[in-house]
Amino acid sequence: MLTMTDIKKVYRTDSIETHALRDFNLQVNEGDFVAVTGPSGSGKTTFLNIAGLLETFEEGRFELDGVDISHQNDASRSRLRNQKIGFIFQSFNLIPDLNLFDNVDVPLRYRGFNRQERKKRIENSLEMVGLAKRMKHLPAQLSGGQQQRVAIARALAGEPRFLLADEPTGNLDSNMAQSVMSLLKDINANGTTIIMVTHDAGLATQATRNIHVRDGKVSEMNESLSAKVDMPNAVATDNGPAVALVK
Amino acid sequence: MFNYYLKLAFNSFKRNPILTGLMIAAIALGIGASMTTITVNYLMSGDPIPEKSSQLFHVQVDSWDPNTGFNDEPNTPPNQLTWTEATNLMAAKKDFRQTAMAKSGAIIQPDNPDINPFEASIRLAFSDFFPMFSVPFQYGNGWDQKADEDRQMVVVLSKETNDKVFGGENSVGKNIVIFGKSFRVIGVLDAWQPLPKFYDVNNGAFDDPEALFMPFYLKQELELPNWGNTNCWKSPEGEGFQAFLQSECINFQMWVELETEQDKQTYLTFLNNYVNDQKELGRFPRPLNNRLLNVMQWMHDQEVVADDAQIMMWLSFMFLVVCLLNTIGLQLAKFSAKSAEIGLRRAVGATKQDLFLQYTVETGAVGLAGGAMGLLLALLGLVGIRHLYGDELNDLATLDSTMIATALLLSLFASVCAGLYPTWRACNIAPASQLKSQ
Repeated sequence: MLTMTDIKKVYRTDSIETHALRDFNLQVNEGDFVAVTGPSGSGKTTFLNIAGLLETFEEGRFELDGVDISHQNDASRSRLRNQKIGFIFQSFNLIPDLNLFDNVDVPLRYRGFNRQERKKRIENSLEMVGLAKRMKHLPAQLSGGQQQRVAIARALAGEPRFLLADEPTGNLDSNMAQSVMSLLKDINANGTTIIMVTHDAGLATQATRNIHVRDGKVSEMNESLSAKVDMPNAVATDNGPAVALVK
Repeated sequence: MFNYYLKLAFNSFKRNPILTGLMIAAIALGIGASMTTITVNYLMSGDPIPEKSSQLFHVQVDSWDPNTGFNDEPNTPPNQLTWTEATNLMAAKKDFRQTAMAKSGAIIQPDNPDINPFEASIRLAFSDFFPMFSVPFQYGNGWDQKADEDRQMVVVLSKETNDKVFGGENSVGKNIVIFGKSFRVIGVLDAWQPLPKFYDVNNGAFDDPEALFMPFYLKQELELPNWGNTNCWKSPEGEGFQAFLQSECINFQMWVELETEQDKQTYLTFLNNYVNDQKELGRFPRPLNNRLLNVMQWMHDQEVVADDAQIMMWLSFMFLVVCLLNTIGLQLAKFSAKSAEIGLRRAVGATKQDLFLQYTVETGAVGLAGGAMGLLLALLGLVGIRHLYGDELNDLATLDSTMIATALLLSLFASVCAGLYPTWRACNIAPASQLKSQ
């Protein structure tokens, strides 16, 4: 369903090349709930950005739902993102001057749904996250946990096949984090494939698959719930990404 | 999606009222300055009689000084005629319609003792003047050819004069004392304000039409004074009014109505033959140089649109460009503050084209708001011009519907152009770099 083969991603400045991903190989199957862990700078977010079609890559092959992404132009990738992928971010990324209804409406506008279809989907997804009664509120009137629920509703409204979450609980206290995690598990149980980047070992153990990324490569994969993951205090001792000076 | 983009634009205004207000103000200042000068130029250079401006020709014959051309220009014939040419050419009656004319003035003595006598300008013309120039009548008509020939004491009043002397009533058939003589009113004009006053641009291209119109030969009959510009390349031979009429002094204008190019060529040949005949009589010492210019050619030739008005217009365009450059800076700042939203929209599926349209609509809305405010500033600017130049530009300093539409279109176009670079930059923001930076 999502297959990455020998993906290479390099960030370049005038004098420095940073190899964010190299020989990155991964297959994610339908219905997986994959937790991606690894130290800061290991390439987790780069992987998620490429998986979410937000960034391109230099080498390798990436297939999403049978579509070879390397040959898609920017507009096609935008369409694929809109139709197949939902995003959840650490900082929620809600638009502050739009109410909850209009925030959830954003991806649907680009999908071309009519007004009735959009309204139905918005109400259903806000209902699913328990915020149907607050759809006229602005994001600033909600707690952090509620804002993340709105972000989840926005990601789900288009009924995507993939949900990509980058530190979805990073800005939440433990109770709210667990609440959001429960919601994600429910969504996964309903058939949506989830890939979640996290530093939280406890949350990672709740996914059905764990992968560990180090130096731009998948270093470990574990399909059990007791997978070995990086602990938060291990991050500080990590060597970070491979950096090479360009001649 | 257009309504959605419009809604987002208004949300954006509310989110950044100061930045948006500054952009609107910058565009308004540029548009206000530009529209003020464009309006003056537009009205100065407009076609005052579009339905037949290409068929009306101003007559010029070169009767000037053998040593120096008119206005020291070697190839320019004088811009007016002598009495001799005006009357001779009229007597020939070579064309469809023709009128020689002159400007004069006299004191009107109303019958009503409550109205003091007052000085009024007079247009001396032939009967063709009214149909040639499509002059509208409120009451009565112009005089006929017989009145021209018989030098009848008839007069056509302007609407303003009729309002002043007769209280706006139908005065046709009544008498009015002008220059100490009794004239019979045979017509009253409706409101008529050709801009520019093309039929006599030498004597105030933006003046009001005259207060009274009467047969041309009354100039000689009553010895009416010369108003307007009079130029002579040699002094009259003798003293008095008749000597002036027989001199080489120019104070008279002449227009002919010629329907086809062939008519024009025929009339020009007639003019050349006339001048050659006069040369045999010892007049017209300069080389043959006669001209027929239509209304727009004549106004261009006489530089009705003043150079300083055109310079002011170009300066105001440069000011508009400076305002737009400021708008670009403000727009960049505004879109920079929105980079997280732009990243989010890209992430959830907006294409670059979607964002380009969204922000172009927003920029256009700012432009229209700036244009509307600019129109108010232009009105203020035109009031300023009226104060600066006085009554002469009263009729020029007004905005008509064409100018209002022009202002809005110009501001829309200018703001969208100014927004192209900021919008392009916004559309090319890498979404991934923005999504984690909030």
